Amino acid sequence: MISVQDLSKEFNGVQALEGITLCVERGETFGLIGPNGAGKTTLIRILTGQIAPSRGEIRLEGEPVDPREPRYRLRVGLVPQEASFYGRLTARENLTMLGFLYGIEKRDVRERIDGLLAWAGLEEHAARQVRFFSRGMQQRLSLAMGLVHRPDLIYMDEPTSGLDPAARSSLWELILRLSEEGRSIFITTHNMEEADHICGRLAILVKGNIREEGTPDYIKGRLGKDRVELRLTDSRDRDLDDLCRRLDLAWKAEGDIAVITGSDLTGKLPEIVSGLAGSVRNLHYREVTLEDAFLRFMREVGD
Amino acid sequence: MKGWKALISKDWKLIFRNRLLIAVLVIYPFLIMGVIGAAFYDVGRPVPIGLVDLDHVDGGETAWMGVEVASPSTMDRGFRRRAGAAVEFNGEGEAVAALGSREVDALLVTGTPEEDLRWTGAEFSGDEIEAMLSDLDLETGVICDYATAEDALASLDGGDSNVLLAIREEDYPYLGETVWMEGENNDASSLVRRFSEDITEIEEYSKASEAREDLKKGRIDAVIMLPRGFVHRLKTLDEVADVKVILDQSNLVKAEFAETNIRGFLSRINEGVVKSKMEAVVTGLYALVGGGDFFGNEITGLEQIRDNLERIKEALAVDPELQEMVNTGIELAETVVNDIDEAAVYLRSTALPIELGVSSVAGRPLSAKDAVVPSLIALSILWTGVLCGAILMVIEEEEGMRTRLRLTEMGPFAMVGSKLILATAVVFVQSAVMLLIAVAVFGVFASNAPLALLVIAAASFSCIGIGLVIAAFARQVAGAVILSVLVSFPLIFMTGAVFPLTQMPAFMQWIARAIPLTYAIEALSGVMLRGETLADVAWQIGVLIAFGVALLALGSVLVRRRNT
Repeated sequence: MISVQDLSKEFNGVQALEGITLCVERGETFGLIGPNGAGKTTLIRILTGQIAPSRGEIRLEGEPVDPREPRYRLRVGLVPQEASFYGRLTARENLTMLGFLYGIEKRDVRERIDGLLAWAGLEEHAARQVRFFSRGMQQRLSLAMGLVHRPDLIYMDEPTSGLDPAARSSLWELILRLSEEGRSIFITTHNMEEADHICGRLAILVKGNIREEGTPDYIKGRLGKDRVELRLTDSRDRDLDDLCRRLDLAWKAEGDIAVITGSDLTGKLPEIVSGLAGSVRNLHYREVTLEDAFLRFMREVGD
Repeated sequence: MKGWKALISKDWKLIFRNRLLIAVLVIYPFLIMGVIGAAFYDVGRPVPIGLVDLDHVDGGETAWMGVEVASPSTMDRGFRRRAGAAVEFNGEGEAVAALGSREVDALLVTGTPEEDLRWTGAEFSGDEIEAMLSDLDLETGVICDYATAEDALASLDGGDSNVLLAIREEDYPYLGETVWMEGENNDASSLVRRFSEDITEIEEYSKASEAREDLKKGRIDAVIMLPRGFVHRLKTLDEVADVKVILDQSNLVKAEFAETNIRGFLSRINEGVVKSKMEAVVTGLYALVGGGDFFGNEITGLEQIRDNLERIKEALAVDPELQEMVNTGIELAETVVNDIDEAAVYLRSTALPIELGVSSVAGRPLSAKDAVVPSLIALSILWTGVLCGAILMVIEEEEGMRTRLRLTEMGPFAMVGSKLILATAVVFVQSAVMLLIAVAVFGVFASNAPLALLVIAAASFSCIGIGLVIAAFARQVAGAVILSVLVSFPLIFMTGAVFPLTQMPAFMQWIARAIPLTYAIEALSGVMLRGETLADVAWQIGVLIAFGVALLALGSVLVRRRNT
């Protein structure tokens, strides 16, 4: 659907993005994760034509495109990070106004806006001024506003930032429905649970560079599937090194806890416990999450 | 088109659903207009002025005078020498008592209140007092009269005088004289009242210090002090009638207003005196011819003398030589009568004061409220236009909608243009309502109201342009309001709305020419007050529209720059 090649952006001598190459397939939900200041919003601003890249190329369905061109702008939707609606207009007025600005015919606008209000669960609140909405309702409206012109590709910049778990879950549901409808979604997020839950593919952006790309399972798999936390009575670093090398596992110290990650860890637990010869005070097992993988990755790249 | 309509409709709702914006953009200009309008509504009321009239005799009072001489000790020696014998007193009470009981006829006070004052008294005749005052007037140029000892001693303290002189009021030459004018004998204060009754409210004070105190407290706008002998000096040609005026210059407008009024009625007094003098002279001349009252004396007129000579001539018919001599006298009398007639005609034709016939270029007299309304409407256009333009632009930024709108089909020109249309409509309607209220309710003069509406539309267009440009430098409505006020406030003082442009330095006039409001005020006052036509103000309307177009273009460029 959309691809970028060797995209870079420099602000007054500071390299915000460097050599970004990625693509989002039709109907795919692509997540961009990274720490604050990694360049996620800058990339969205370039892809939505707000700023021009210093270098690189953007292709829409294989054809080079300038994001400021109408043929591109009218095919993409945007759900910005910050609140983006007129608080003193009603939900219907916000959507209708956008409909007209996108050149939708008057006879179609009402029907389309009714559909969007129902889709976002806002039909009962359509006549209320948006400033009186809850944060979750506002964000659902913001999402609906990005869909007024039925875009093929939707950019979402940290859409669930600041939402409570219920509102977040409701928004995820809407995003998943969009994906099921065959829309392409490019989403940036801090929330690893969100990325894991809704994204088909992810890229990790650190200091303006994409350091890793793949499905959530692939990225999690870089650490193995399992994770064990061991609290030891004394320091056994040398024994842990030997055990992990032998059993094809990895370990690291997190304070006074040793964290071991790898595949088929449950079957190897008896050997680990006996190898540490009674030093194990307690043990906690769970599956590796995307957050574990992300944190491990960040430590590896020294950020 | 429906996109433009949607943008305008959206901005309309955003303004009129926001109480703060309604207050700032709609209510506030009306409020300001009401306040300023009320302040100017009754301008032209009589100016309150305090009068201290020293040119009258109260009886038993002391006439205090102060002079500044080069050497007080030399004056003291001269005073003693002139009197022959002098008496020293221990303080004011003793000295004033001696003057009142006629032990002495004049007092001389030297020194300063901080040091010891020296009180000297001496006996003088009335002629000697007059000669002494005349010499003193010649030597110093100014003799300041004071109502009380307190005022006089304060002048020593304040450095206005370094020597005081006191005599009994009844010994003061020419005190409390009157002048015959408009069928009445007028003393000093009635002259002032007669010639200022329509422009001032006179409040009389017996002490200068009290009048000065009321001036400080703002109860009166100026103090006039009429000196002793004021009327006498008005009547003679050899002495000038000095009038002392004290103004409160902490408020320049008030001081200027009071001074202009005072100058006006003093000039009318002068004219009245000159006119009455001339009438007296002409009456005298006719008395010389026809006989009768000649400045208080019954005289035989030249015509009567000529008639008598005629009769003598007839009686001397027997002596042709004597008859011829009488005939010469008759001819001489005829010549003098004719010369006097000519002189009287000349004096009548030249001595009458100038009558000012003031008329307005508008074709009718204008009041202060008429004059202030065009500037007021122009200021309202500036205020609402700049704020409305800036706020409407910044709303997109504050609501986080700028990026979303950029992705739509509407370009920067539509974004800026739609706001320009709405803001122009808001400002135009508001200013038009103001004009309507001013004319219909308050009776303000507008010689060409429809043309004024056209000027208002052009002025609104240009002032909103300023707001659009300001918005490029603000991110929030609060910032836009602050910036708008920062920009608008100096503009008010740089455009002739407060001070006349012609009174500003040349460089300020150049700056004023770069501000659209200047042309708005010129054109509005032109069409409302000076009866100007479309042809007269077409170039100013053109400049206003050009400013609007240029600022719209600049605003669009700045929006585009911000977007990218």
